Amino acid sequence: MPTQHLKSCRLFVAMLIVGLLSSSPLQADEPTVAATGIDGEVQVLKDEVLDLNRELFLLEEELLFPANTQVAVFVSMDVGDFFDLDSVQLRIDDKPVSNYLYTEREVAALLRGGVHRLYLGNLKTGEHELTAVFTGQGPHTRDYRRGATLKVEKGIGAKFVELRISDRESKQQPEFLVKEWE
Amino acid sequence: MAPARAGDVAAPAAIRDLYYGETLFQFYQDKHFDALTHLLAARAEGRVSHHEAESELLLGGLYLHYGQHVRAEEIFNRLLTQDVAPPVRDRAWFYLGKVRYQRGLHAEALASFARISGALPETLEAELPMLKAQSLMALERFNAAAVLLDGWEGPDGWLPYARYNLGVALVRLNRLEDGARQLDRVGRSSPASAELLDLRDKANLALGYAYLQQAQDGLARPVLERVRLQGPFANKALLGVGWADAATRDFQGALTPWLELKDRDLLDSAVQESLLAVPYAYAQLEAHGSAAEGYQSALTAFDTEISKLDGAIARAATSGQSGSQGGGLINALLNTDDTAIGRWYWELDQLPDSNEARYLYLLVADHRFQEGLRNVRDLTALSGHLQEWQDKLSAFDDIVATQRGAYQQREPRFTSGLNRADVPGLQARRDALAARLDAIESTRNPAGLASAEELDRWQRLAALSADPGLAAPEAGDLRDRHRLLRGVLLWDLDRDYRYRLWVERRNLREIDALLARATRGQAGATAARRDTPAELDAFAARIADVGPRIARLQQLIARESGQQEQRLQALAIDTLRDQRDRLATYRVQAQFALATIYDRAATAARVTPERRQPGDSR
Repeated sequence: MPTQHLKSCRLFVAMLIVGLLSSSPLQADEPTVAATGIDGEVQVLKDEVLDLNRELFLLEEELLFPANTQVAVFVSMDVGDFFDLDSVQLRIDDKPVSNYLYTEREVAALLRGGVHRLYLGNLKTGEHELTAVFTGQGPHTRDYRRGATLKVEKGIGAKFVELRISDRESKQQPEFLVKEWE
Repeated sequence: MAPARAGDVAAPAAIRDLYYGETLFQFYQDKHFDALTHLLAARAEGRVSHHEAESELLLGGLYLHYGQHVRAEEIFNRLLTQDVAPPVRDRAWFYLGKVRYQRGLHAEALASFARISGALPETLEAELPMLKAQSLMALERFNAAAVLLDGWEGPDGWLPYARYNLGVALVRLNRLEDGARQLDRVGRSSPASAELLDLRDKANLALGYAYLQQAQDGLARPVLERVRLQGPFANKALLGVGWADAATRDFQGALTPWLELKDRDLLDSAVQESLLAVPYAYAQLEAHGSAAEGYQSALTAFDTEISKLDGAIARAATSGQSGSQGGGLINALLNTDDTAIGRWYWELDQLPDSNEARYLYLLVADHRFQEGLRNVRDLTALSGHLQEWQDKLSAFDDIVATQRGAYQQREPRFTSGLNRADVPGLQARRDALAARLDAIESTRNPAGLASAEELDRWQRLAALSADPGLAAPEAGDLRDRHRLLRGVLLWDLDRDYRYRLWVERRNLREIDALLARATRGQAGATAARRDTPAELDAFAARIADVGPRIARLQQLIARESGQQEQRLQALAIDTLRDQRDRLATYRVQAQFALATIYDRAATAARVTPERRQPGDSR
């Protein structure tokens, strides 16, 4: 019996070897998938839901923020060596409309080139004043608070405004720019 | 190791469309569903036209990440038929290859990768040799895989994986020494992340068992001892250490890891094996009583587990027959799922702690099960999104109704205001003013630009000129003074003429701007009055249209989820039955071994009396 069992155990070892060495090579990414019939059906269904989701997303935006009154304010960052962003407060015509506190993950996304839509709202045609106050840590990890103001002329079409934080190498300071987009 | 990111290939040097950057913002936070929705909407609205090729590449990457291989492949194929920049083309070939790799089309994947002609972004450049090597290994072209990976200078995060894969490939080519060198380097590394620690254990385990297979037991033991005692590979390592000792007939030594192992979870095949290995070692040490006891205890443990498995199989099968979704195991997974994530991100140590949940460890190791579960998970999340929209639809209806009411209330005032706004009349007055200015300029008439006071003085001087008294001989002084005053006034008017003309022209331009704005405003207001009812009707129609579509898709999702869950349930039952069959086989082995021990004991007992000396009282 012991010999038999030793053989069976060796067999187990061999099976384990096969299990370890013949399985798909390791990869930290998604595993491979076969496009089976049922998987194909799921993909078609997911696609249809995604399309409907897109339609509903646009319907909601057009309904709540029609193009003739829509104003969107975006925040972007360039480099960010001299400023570690904590929050942005936005006032339009002296009325606070957004006070956004950024997470580390969001700041990282901004630094990689992402653009955050800080505010989406409605404004009547005519002149309006946008004031953004940026809070965070500036050079030498000192608390830093800076404002930027822009007068915008709201016409019939949607108005896009970018609040851009960039580094001003010459002064070793952050720079806060407000830019209108067509 | 971070998986390749579609955004890494789609991040432009500068954002030229805010909404493209906004999609990247979602994507970089791993909010793939939001990124996909926002990008689809932005593309539909023409908001990313400056990033056409990049946004298409990102869309393909997002579809790929979301498991939409067919759509992703369509997009990459379409990109490759277009006149796109070489870097975009290379990235599209990379992603097309990856789609094919993920679909198991390894030869086609390699063909796609071969079309890449330039340098890729860093993360993709790092991933490419891995994907190529894995495709080669899947095609059993191990030599080519080894050549590709050997000497590859990839980023740190990728290297251990590459070395592990290379080591495995070399061992399979019977080049144990070469393979061992690669696996040993991974096995001796000091990684910080849990994922790489697991990989280190796995490398040591693979190398240890490779040595055992080649009967190099002395080399196997120290390698297997490097595996952490509490990691996912600890049980198999403990079993292997025991067998390394047993191979050198050190059964006392073998008992130490095997005894540690036998009290662990019986669902692990190494633990099951240890239940037989422990009494086997006792038998080798001539401790037959302990051996018999060990086999008996193994039988009891196997019987208990078989009974539990029978129960779980019966419950899974019964719940399927009764029409409930998927059975207890599948529900146990889904009930503790986090729908907010939007994808299936199970981790084994977060599995629910219950009898049923023990078996989930067996199931989640099965790739087919994970894929099915991911489909259920994605469908559940999509159903949730649709339900949110369904809930919003009534609010949308209210918004339209409110806007319609407000419009009807304001319309009379609006119309009256529009009627009162006489923009053509204002335009005619402006035109008359412009004509006067033109006439003044063409005749260079400074008096035309006189102020009211100057004009008054001018008219009074003109009236005096017509007075016959001014022509009288005695009015010489008066005529001189009149001439002087007229001259001074003319001088002043002439001096200021250019400036005044410039001011008036500027005023005219301001009037033009105001009139243009008024014209635009009136046109906008007229259009709004004309179009608002139709727009509100269009909104109402769109809202009415999507309601039934949501309902239909919800039905399809429910049906598809049900099918997926049934498939998962069948897989679950198969897996549990396999486990039960294996335990039953071990049970037979234990019974046989126990019977052999009793048989020997009985034989020995029969032999012993014959050898007794006469007069022996026993």
